[in-house]
Amino acid sequence: MEDKKNLIRMADKIQEALIKLKHGRYLELIRQLTSFAGKLQELTAESRKMGASLVKGWFSAAERCCKGVNRLLSDIPHSVSRIQQLTDVPQKEIPKLSSLVDELNQVQQEFGSLELDNAESTISVITEPITLDDVYLGPFRIQLELKKFSELYTTSPYCVIALEPNPAATDEEVTHPHVSGNKLCEGDGCVTIRTALEQGRLCDFFTMVRSILNTYNPDSPYVALYDWNGEPCYDCGYVMSREDTYYCYSCEHDFCSQCSTYCRFCEETVCLGCSAECPHCEEMVCQKCIRRCTECEELCCKSCLEENVCPNCKEEMEKENEEQECKISETNQNGNPSQSETGETQIKLAS
Amino acid sequence: MRLLYINNDGGGFADYVDVTEGITVEQFFKDKMQGSKPDDFLIRVNRQPVPREYVLKEGDRVTVTPTKIEGALL
Repeated sequence: MEDKKNLIRMADKIQEALIKLKHGRYLELIRQLTSFAGKLQELTAESRKMGASLVKGWFSAAERCCKGVNRLLSDIPHSVSRIQQLTDVPQKEIPKLSSLVDELNQVQQEFGSLELDNAESTISVITEPITLDDVYLGPFRIQLELKKFSELYTTSPYCVIALEPNPAATDEEVTHPHVSGNKLCEGDGCVTIRTALEQGRLCDFFTMVRSILNTYNPDSPYVALYDWNGEPCYDCGYVMSREDTYYCYSCEHDFCSQCSTYCRFCEETVCLGCSAECPHCEEMVCQKCIRRCTECEELCCKSCLEENVCPNCKEEMEKENEEQECKISETNQNGNPSQSETGETQIKLAS
Repeated sequence: MRLLYINNDGGGFADYVDVTEGITVEQFFKDKMQGSKPDDFLIRVNRQPVPREYVLKEGDRVTVTPTKIEGALL
């Protein structure tokens, strides 16, 4: 248990941070209002210029003014919405020191412990070990950083650190389906967490963060729990998410993109072990679409085979046929010279 | 009588509300959180857990915080 002096010292720091936050909010509001007023002034100036252009009959100048007005008008909705956001919720009074001490005491009661680091201005609690859908994620430290409190509207002033990290196999930064790089994606809790911090309700803040950590939203995780441990490639062992696996229909295992390919004929996904490169067209072919040449028994894709013979054997066979034909024709020439004469005449005619 | 009611489900607003004298925390929860189960919430009165039959008093601070909140990817 933290001693009372420490609690008061920290409560004082929280109060200081809340004052800074409130101050920062008004400063931001002034900045936004100044920018908005500037835009209105620019519109007035454009209107004046447009009037002067019309008096002189300068329509092209008036048209330029129209474009300027259009550009200014398109900026206005964003400014209005930002101002509305800042003025929407009336600000509560900054809690008294005693109330902030009560908050810290309540945090101690709810979590069993509370860690105050006066030097770093951090307040931390540790959750019970968390298991979601049978995946053990371990305990988490929820650490509120008072130095970042004034940046509440632009960044998250707290972090969620896994104390016994069991990160997703595919991303070491993801220690919880909704935590990446020690930052929690608050989802439904976003507004309530911010409101609790704005009002100095620290216990509500810590319990809500814990509630998010204890809940799994399967619709929007960084890494889904069913995929937490990933899927190893059957060949090289590389661990990937299930979505990135390639199933080989032939050996019926999962592979990574480096260890798989697809058959250029049937377009089925196969692993490198169940496919071969056709030595002639150099395309990858699966076992179903690969054939053996009946002459040399070399593996070859269906399209390179002609009458079950590979192109090399086909060429050889054609050469042999030609040679045989030559021999036959030579034999014929010796036996029937008149035919040769006729042939020569034909060649001469053709040339 | 008036209570400070902090509902951390949804907007997370803290407001003073008027309730009838003698209302129990269970009845108050049923009125304010229609259709919700008390088991899904952390209910604290003046920062302390209380039994369901606890009778609320003038100026009590009632906090209702869901125990399950769905996080999401940004």
